[in-house]
Amino acid sequence: MEENELIKRAKTGDRKALAELVGRYEQTIYNFAFKICRHTDKAEHIMQETFYSMIKSLHQFDGKSKLSTWLYRIVSNHCLMLARKQKGNSFVSLNDDDESLYTERYTADWSSIPYKETENEELKKILDDSIQKLAPDYRSVFLLRDVEGFSTEETAKITELSIPAVKSRLHRARAFLRKELDKAFLK
Amino acid sequence: MIEKVTCKEVMQHICENLGEQLNSEKCAEIKNHLENCTHCKEYFKSVEITIECFKKYNVELPKDAHRRLMDFLNLNEE
Repeated sequence: MEENELIKRAKTGDRKALAELVGRYEQTIYNFAFKICRHTDKAEHIMQETFYSMIKSLHQFDGKSKLSTWLYRIVSNHCLMLARKQKGNSFVSLNDDDESLYTERYTADWSSIPYKETENEELKKILDDSIQKLAPDYRSVFLLRDVEGFSTEETAKITELSIPAVKSRLHRARAFLRKELDKAFLK
Repeated sequence: MIEKVTCKEVMQHICENLGEQLNSEKCAEIKNHLENCTHCKEYFKSVEITIECFKKYNVELPKDAHRRLMDFLNLNEE
């Protein structure tokens, strides 16, 4: 069934249509929540809250954006809310003047990074540790733009940030993560 | 005469504009620099690899988590 028809039915409270919509997006939402919080239990909790919010506010969905984009906005908000609730988190502070972000001294042998292996546990740990040093709003911008493939404009809409704010978070996040991998794979 | 760009400028530019349209005069100079500077080429490649690593790392929704989700939303088929 077409998604628009499903949404129409789901808005009337049709449970079968709701279940179908949840089924279509649960994998995407779970995966994205995990990518932000890097923890399977938290990702599951965020996924549950995201679909609960979807069902509660589906009547407000006007169809101007895709349902998937709307869901990314909800899941991003839930990730940020969860991160704010967790006290004791400290993240790196990044600014453009930070020379070390663009260090010209290379230490790693990038050809040795097993980036084509999807199940390399050592690499996974490095990726988890690196991204968790970033504040959640930097993580969501990097993940939406570079990993999920949204445009800068779409990322700005989803995160409710201005385009310049998206761009500055994006380039700092890229430079920071690159540097973390560079450190982790010292020659 | 266009001012020569520095490696640091190129690196910042790569981080800011990777995947964007690069049409300005400055961008042309940056592309030119990239083609001729091994150092910056390596930097460009390393940013691309960084992104690729995060793209490849995905998790599957466990079956139990699907069941718990449907229970939580009260959407399980009776």
